[in-house]
Amino acid sequence: MSERLVALARRVRNDPFFLASVLHEYARSEGLEEADLAAMLACPVEMLATLSLCRRPRPEPPLFRHDVELIATRFGVRAEVLASIVRHVDALTSMRRDAAVERGFLMAARDDDEPAESEERS
Amino acid sequence: MSPSESSPPPVDEGRALHERLVAGDPTAPADLANTFLDRLANWLILHNPGVDPHICNTAAEDAILALIRNPASYRPEKQSLEVYLRMSASGDLKNLLRSERRHVSRRMSWEVVELSPAAGNCLWDEDSDPARIVARADDEKRPPLPSGLQETLTREESQVLELMLEGERRTEVYAAVLGLTNRPILEQRLEVKRVKDRLKKRLERAGGRRE
Repeated sequence: MSERLVALARRVRNDPFFLASVLHEYARSEGLEEADLAAMLACPVEMLATLSLCRRPRPEPPLFRHDVELIATRFGVRAEVLASIVRHVDALTSMRRDAAVERGFLMAARDDDEPAESEERS
Repeated sequence: MSPSESSPPPVDEGRALHERLVAGDPTAPADLANTFLDRLANWLILHNPGVDPHICNTAAEDAILALIRNPASYRPEKQSLEVYLRMSASGDLKNLLRSERRHVSRRMSWEVVELSPAAGNCLWDEDSDPARIVARADDEKRPPLPSGLQETLTREESQVLELMLEGERRTEVYAAVLGLTNRPILEQRLEVKRVKDRLKKRLERAGGRRE
């Protein structure tokens, strides 16, 4: 495995375009090492970098399945595991987004509750 | 043998990879990086001695990522994918060195009160500036075209001349630029040679150097 490929995979792990972001987020949320992740996917650890440089599967149901199967076939990884990893990370992202929106609402509500300086003085 | 010396990927392979990128094949970015990243980085390092290899690696990464994000930026009818990536990576390298130079000069303005040039800090030596090394190398490799020549060239001739100056040797790359890929190989060779010879003569007549 080329060191440059590994470096590139590391560089894009926060870029949601790449599968690297999914694998990185999943491993982080589950406390997994690379070797654990590779074992789950049934592929050699060395393949993770190349796998990471794939585009993240498109979310629309027919495309999602097509993309996951394409990646799984090409790299010999377990399609059902890859699909569940992507869905898991999607759920985490969605939950975080909801939580952020909720926090935003709460902060806005708190701002409304606090009397303005002019009101306090009057 | 290093990857830069190994035989280049066939033009058709680059074209197929590009088609897969455009079509949204999720495995195409990985295959692109796998095929071109090492070759591109090695090529940059080879052609820019004196520049930190890490910067060359980053420039190669930048070129690969840019193509992945915007595959339409490459037009296969103009040149091979490898030539396109080399040109793109060379541009990225210059940008990186330019921003490195800006960073260094900003840092110098802060450190000027603390550091003495006599202490041997190479930042004070303009000749050691990586961006200047690349610019100098480019200047040495490529004297400017004789005035007026560029305007007389067709788009294809201009691209062929660019490739010649880049040191490109492969007939298939020139054939792709000239739209000859459907013709028999022998015919491609003859036509490419004819165009290159004609360009060399025009370059000589205009007062420039030969390839």
